[in-house]
Amino acid sequence: MERLLQYVFDGLSFGAIYALLALGLVVVFRGTGHLNFAQGEMAMFCTFIIWQINEWGVPLILAVAIGMLFGFVLGAGTEATVIRSVAKKSPGGVFVVSIALFLGLNSLATMIWDRAEGYTMKSLFPNKDVDFVRILGAEWRYKYIGVLIVALALMGLLFLLFSKTKFGLAMRSVASNPESARLVGVPSGLVLASSWGIAAAMGALSGALVGGINGQLTPSLMFSVFIYASAAATLGGLDSPGGAVIAGLSIGIGEQLVAGYAPGWIGQDLKLSVALILIFVVLLVKPSGLFGSLKVERV
Amino acid sequence: MSLLRTEGLRASYGQVDVLLGIDIEVNEGEMVVILGANGAGKTTTMRAVSGTVARGGSVVFDGIEIVSESAEAIVRLGIAHVPQGRGTFADLTVEENLRIGAYIRQDSVDSDIARWFKTFPRLGERKSQKAGSLSGGEQQMLAIARALMSRPRLLLCDEPSLGLAPLITQELFGVLKSLNQEEGLSVLLVEQNANLALKVAHRVYLLETGQVVASGSAESIAGDERIRKAYLGG
Repeated sequence: MERLLQYVFDGLSFGAIYALLALGLVVVFRGTGHLNFAQGEMAMFCTFIIWQINEWGVPLILAVAIGMLFGFVLGAGTEATVIRSVAKKSPGGVFVVSIALFLGLNSLATMIWDRAEGYTMKSLFPNKDVDFVRILGAEWRYKYIGVLIVALALMGLLFLLFSKTKFGLAMRSVASNPESARLVGVPSGLVLASSWGIAAAMGALSGALVGGINGQLTPSLMFSVFIYASAAATLGGLDSPGGAVIAGLSIGIGEQLVAGYAPGWIGQDLKLSVALILIFVVLLVKPSGLFGSLKVERV
Repeated sequence: MSLLRTEGLRASYGQVDVLLGIDIEVNEGEMVVILGANGAGKTTTMRAVSGTVARGGSVVFDGIEIVSESAEAIVRLGIAHVPQGRGTFADLTVEENLRIGAYIRQDSVDSDIARWFKTFPRLGERKSQKAGSLSGGEQQMLAIARALMSRPRLLLCDEPSLGLAPLITQELFGVLKSLNQEEGLSVLLVEQNANLALKVAHRVYLLETGQVVASGSAESIAGDERIRKAYLGG
């Protein structure tokens, strides 16, 4: 029982991070219909920026805020320059461009912050050995609780932005019908750039949270996180923010359970494959995901 | 007084020239209809005015040259375009469609929404439904109401009757007519149903392969034997 609860606690925090990154994927997909394969590497790059600023003496929390701002500019700038001009000519080209961005950002980070053993990343939350609360025998570490709270709070803000603000309505209108959005005066370019910006800013935060949990920062920081996030976005339905959150949390918990309970031959090594198999099965059986919308339209 | 005037308006899709120099005019408070066969360039004329197709020549709206303005800018100047095929936001609710229709406005829009729900009660009954689930007639009503949410001075309406039952079409034309006559809204209408259009319009332009081949008052066009034969089914 304690063990189960322990896995659930840990899984929730990791799941919240996957959900954040998955939400970024969903925001971009809803806006432009593209999967941004560089989402994870953008997050990793922003995390290095955060680490660097923090290293220069800026308090970590402020560094995270600056890193998110940097992420916003990076994401919005990428959309407004490379993505938009390529998408106009060939939608499939965007896929290739995002792979190129993935590799480019990874190489750039390796070039600038070249050190095989990586760097020590501080956590935003207390993470000494004694910083935990015991619930029903399971340890819930403060840094995990903090991650969960921050991630859930940001998701809440994002939902308010989507559903309650004029900007959110404008974003959804561009996603629904770009030409009509222009006809009612929505500056679709600005909206699309902003959705990439928001996605990258969320990525920056998730990177800082992952780095804080791991305590270590290398250019491969987001590899597995991105795969879990992609699985979450696919499972939840690529156009469903709520689905991404629920699927992200479930995958986080599932990952801990698989790693903990399953026989040794799955364990830590193969659990990433479980996520990939999940993506495969979802695409095969229910391509719209659990909560994604099939386009239904009467004519 | 002329509200909209195009001179030598040209437009093309890629290499194909669709408009070869269109001169049309809509005066303040007028309802003008563009008739013509399929492929004559009616829809493209509307799109060239609202800025949703690459175009050249001159389009003057309310004294301002708008031929190089973006669609987003043109709606702010007071031209609302109900596109062919309605162009509603299928994933948004009926009410959200109306709210986004007023995107360019900063003031409160609730009274406008209430007004259009009164004009089109069926939209009010379905205000929380996704627009994609509406019938064709309801979607057309929604598209018109959404365009009017921006409080335009000129409404471009592209084939509102397309695929609709005659009764619904009559209801829509009744609304357009009363907006024009009672509130002085200027309307530029593209319509296949020429008999119906000639009943509500003041003036008519006849398009053929990207050019205006005839124009005049609705009465004179309706009375022209040649045009009757070619476009109005005898």
